[in-house]
Amino acid sequence: MSAARHYPGRPRGGLATWASLALGLAFLASLWAVDASPERLIAVPGEVLIFLGRFFAPDMFFLSDPETGAWMCSVDWPACRAALGAHWGGILDYGRESVVAGILESIQIAWIGTIIGALLSLPLAFLGAGQLFPVLSRGIKALSSTIRAVPEILLAIYLIPIVGLGATAGALAIGLHSVGMLSKLGAEVVESIDMGPVEAVEAAGGSRWAAIRYAVLPQVIPEILAQWLFRFELNLRASAILGVVGAGGVGALLLNALRYRQFDKAAAVLILTVLAVLVIDMVSSALRRRLTRA
Amino acid sequence: MSAARPPKPSPPWALYGVILAVVGGMTLWSAFGVGLSAREIVCNLGGGTRLLRESWPPDFGFLPRLWGPFLETLQIALIGTVVGGIIAIPVAVLAARPVSPNWITWFLDRNFMNVLRTMPDLFWAMLFAAAVGFGPLAGALALSVFTVAVVSKLFSESMESIDLNLPEAVRAAGGSWVQMVRFSVLPQVWPHYASYVMYAFELNVRASMVLGLVGAGGIGMILNTQRASFEYERVTMIILMVLVAVLVIEQISIAIRRRLI
Repeated sequence: MSAARHYPGRPRGGLATWASLALGLAFLASLWAVDASPERLIAVPGEVLIFLGRFFAPDMFFLSDPETGAWMCSVDWPACRAALGAHWGGILDYGRESVVAGILESIQIAWIGTIIGALLSLPLAFLGAGQLFPVLSRGIKALSSTIRAVPEILLAIYLIPIVGLGATAGALAIGLHSVGMLSKLGAEVVESIDMGPVEAVEAAGGSRWAAIRYAVLPQVIPEILAQWLFRFELNLRASAILGVVGAGGVGALLLNALRYRQFDKAAAVLILTVLAVLVIDMVSSALRRRLTRA
Repeated sequence: MSAARPPKPSPPWALYGVILAVVGGMTLWSAFGVGLSAREIVCNLGGGTRLLRESWPPDFGFLPRLWGPFLETLQIALIGTVVGGIIAIPVAVLAARPVSPNWITWFLDRNFMNVLRTMPDLFWAMLFAAAVGFGPLAGALALSVFTVAVVSKLFSESMESIDLNLPEAVRAAGGSWVQMVRFSVLPQVWPHYASYVMYAFELNVRASMVLGLVGAGGIGMILNTQRASFEYERVTMIILMVLVAVLVIEQISIAIRRRLI
């Protein structure tokens, strides 16, 4: 009892230490593999800042006189102001002409995809719930996790030759991916319910379907509706990029604008997309908060 | 003693009507906008079945040429996760209400996070590819930003529900704000952080497969060339590979995450 007090040291050399060491080495090897040399990395923030600046100001703003070193804008301010006006005029015009239409198409693709996903996933959510259908649920879970593993854009690559280039392929791709996602999340909600009411309905002589209709459905509907809304938010982001492979929406506009270095057009796409997604997120999350609070 | 039953509350029909009208209206508007027509799909079905026949036996001979780009894809995902995961820590700390040092920092950081999250992952890839040049570096940078967006949101939310007595104790003992965060806030949420970073890694692996479509490196670059030349049996091979990799990584990550929390 009178032995000198011995404090245990901090544990070292456990699995966590080795795992983080391995992770660190893998990280360094990866950096080397993607050519991220220090001199390259130091240049990156500057490149990105200048690039971002081009969205909001014309090239003239970044030029300086090679002899005197004076910035163009400090030498010839009226011309600079005119260029700035033309740049923002271009952003507004392009925004009105084609970006708004592209964003509306993206919203439509996302909406149709969500509706398809919601309708098809609702029965799958019940059939996939382990405590209701123990045998079926394993198969349905495996199927939905396989669908989920394929990104929307890869599904679109397959759907384009089948239904043609355009928004239909995008909507179907997003719908298919949503089925996988929503039926998994829905099944988890159904699995977490209170089984008391189900037993009560069955004890009163109700059938399996009556139990689902009167005991399960009322418990899960708010949560499932909230997930549909959240899925719509995510689908909107997904549909914005589907244009890259030609499946409609605003993505093709951004890709082309960047390819031809039309920075005013790219800026119009970026600003309007961020605004549209922000607004829809706000509306949707307000609705979701009301749904899940009750 | 006939118990007077209260009348059954009548459902809010007006509300249901409004919801139905909005949802139905949106659906019709979208269906016309998208040009969803059964006739077109049926007419194209012939081409579709031909494509599916062409794409089924995947071209296994193509597999050896895929390992290099596949490894690059995983490397991009790893860099994105590590860099983004580290940057996400301060971003999340400053955006958590009870931890953030003052109201202005909280407000600015919160909105910064929201704007970051509105951008789709491939938009970042397109921007970085145009800014720093085509290649895997652009993909790694894009996924870093994407990881910051995902992890910081989840992490700051879990910091909002910590036990606030510990931070108070550190402050009462004369600890600075940094010491408070380091010794009383972060230790409470590290398991959540590890779980979110792993979740982000899953998302990043999935995203890094398609980064190549916009020229940001990885297996997607090959996918894009094979797709453009309609070599669908090779496309199937690539997608099969992606599918297996994503499923395996997902299962590992789920198993680890279950032990963490």
